[in-house]
Amino acid sequence: MIATNKVMILAVTFTVSYAVLYAISTELNLPLVTYHPVIGEIDFLWKPERRGPAMYWYGWMLTSLIGATILAFVATMIPEHWLQRIVTFAAAAAVAYLIVYSLALLVYEKATVELEWLKSRWLSAGAAVVLAAVLSFFTPIAWNERLWPGWAWAVPAGALAVLGYYLVPYFTR
Amino acid sequence: MAFWTSLLIVHGLLAVALLGAVTHQAVALWWPVRVASGSFVTRFRAVPSISYVWAIIILYVVTFIMGAWIYTQYRYTSRLALEQLRFFKTVGAFEIKEHVATIGLVLLPAYWAFWRRPLSPDYAAARKQVTLFLAILVWANFLIGHIVNNARGFGS
Repeated sequence: MIATNKVMILAVTFTVSYAVLYAISTELNLPLVTYHPVIGEIDFLWKPERRGPAMYWYGWMLTSLIGATILAFVATMIPEHWLQRIVTFAAAAAVAYLIVYSLALLVYEKATVELEWLKSRWLSAGAAVVLAAVLSFFTPIAWNERLWPGWAWAVPAGALAVLGYYLVPYFTR
Repeated sequence: MAFWTSLLIVHGLLAVALLGAVTHQAVALWWPVRVASGSFVTRFRAVPSISYVWAIIILYVVTFIMGAWIYTQYRYTSRLALEQLRFFKTVGAFEIKEHVATIGLVLLPAYWAFWRRPLSPDYAAARKQVTLFLAILVWANFLIGHIVNNARGFGS
């Protein structure tokens, strides 16, 4: 049994959830504020550029900060073994989605008949959730405990990989 | 422009200090000295890792804030020039730097928690992994910063 405390739960959950929320808010473009550096003005939420480029990075960080802070405090209120199971489930769901969706696209590419439904992200997401639920249900509590602190770097590394993937067009133009 | 150039130089110097601290800590943690000797490499590895924690956290936060400040100037000066010159790889490298810096910043709460005194043996592995990951992020950003600045930096 790994001895944890509220501070550890707060810190690890904050790091993990911030990384995930940052990747989501960046890719879906959900800034809390928009900064216009040329005129030095700040708008609430997403706004288009006016007189020069608009900067959303600060806004993405603020969106993630609020979400991660809420999640971290909620995490301190739920039983620890449930929290560990939830994080394992979420990580497994993300990896499963990546695998299922990639396989679906591969089959779609190779198939000799039109299988349009394979391109549905929702279908892959649903399959990933089911797979992750089964996997996390059968994962022993001791494994969740051992995995738990490692998510503090594995999830941010995964988020960074996703963010990097979306930047590939800059390097292939 | 002199103000922003000065700020960039200070940002770079802080990054060098951070790079040294985090590298020292990571090496001492992953490659600890078993038998003391007087060589430079052994002494480099023999530092007490825990003494670097607050220095790394403070240096990271200050370097990050300065970088985030300089970013406003970069966004409508250097970056526009890079885009006009079609230096898309350089722009992309800076986009990566922005994300790496953020991920490194949010790693700090967990990093701090794992290094809290008294050091828990339960978190020894996580402590090593998070420290190494942070060192990799700092190195990546340091190198990207140099590449971007050399391509079309301030004063060029």
